[in-house]
Amino acid sequence: MKEEIRQKISMTLYHGARIGLSIVFIYASYDKILHPAAFAKVIYNYQILPDELINLSAIFLPWLELVIGSLLIIGVWLPGSVFIGNILLIIFCSALMYNKARGLDISCGCFSTSQGDLPESTLYLIRDFSFVVIAVYLFIKVFISESPGLKRSS
Amino acid sequence: MRLISSKIWIKTSNQVLFIVLIVLAAGFASNYFRSDKIPFIEDWSAKSNLVTPSGENLEISLAEASNLFKKGKAFFIDARSLAEYDAGHIKGAISLPYKEVDWKFVEAMTGISEESAVITYCDGETCELSMELAVFLRNAGYKNATVLSNGWPVWKQNGLPVETGE
Repeated sequence: MKEEIRQKISMTLYHGARIGLSIVFIYASYDKILHPAAFAKVIYNYQILPDELINLSAIFLPWLELVIGSLLIIGVWLPGSVFIGNILLIIFCSALMYNKARGLDISCGCFSTSQGDLPESTLYLIRDFSFVVIAVYLFIKVFISESPGLKRSS
Repeated sequence: MRLISSKIWIKTSNQVLFIVLIVLAAGFASNYFRSDKIPFIEDWSAKSNLVTPSGENLEISLAEASNLFKKGKAFFIDARSLAEYDAGHIKGAISLPYKEVDWKFVEAMTGISEESAVITYCDGETCELSMELAVFLRNAGYKNATVLSNGWPVWKQNGLPVETGE
């Protein structure tokens, strides 16, 4: 009985994480697919990618997010989509941390000399970090449950 | 004992490959058919960002700007936040944070004629605030508005006059 409840909780958590993350990706992709030029400017403002990669990222990255989000929500190709999702979120999180550390205001690509008074970027960082936690949890779930000796959970 | 079997890695790499192919197809197709398509590779250098869509280059060189400064013939407009302005700005500059331009514009620009040389600046080579402010000012009638690229750090580094506070 106890085992049953535990399994139920574990399943709920797993599906919650999967659907939650898929909504994050689909929601994130929507506006970027509609406005590639604006998104290119956002990427430019991060001042991390070389110029040649800015527009390419602006064109393809939103579609990657949409495809991953869709695969996650329907629950197919989970290893592939969870794997890419993890990589993407870790890259986003690192980019935010990097720019916060060097005091860059990503909304305008400006360096702020007064560091520490950027609550917005801290909020983004906390938000992105919690997405990474969810994604890593899904990664563990998907990859271990698909390995032999353990029952598939989906 | 390995926790994750090698089988799943093969499966994963296959799926990743297919996902990438789908994304490439979707990206190419959408950018091909849409009306607001963007080039795959674009010139993002700081210089090109100081050119308006109509082809006007708004950049003013440091030599020119400091010359106008010495003659007292230009108004310097600081496009950064008020806190950054207070921490240090070009001597005599007026604070007009671009993010608050809609309601600070009238107060900041009172007494400056539209014929005057107006030079906007912010912090960082890629900072767009100064460019956007200059475009805004031009639309408002200040046809001599220009941008000092990477203004604040360059001005400081060259030992030109600065001040702090309001």
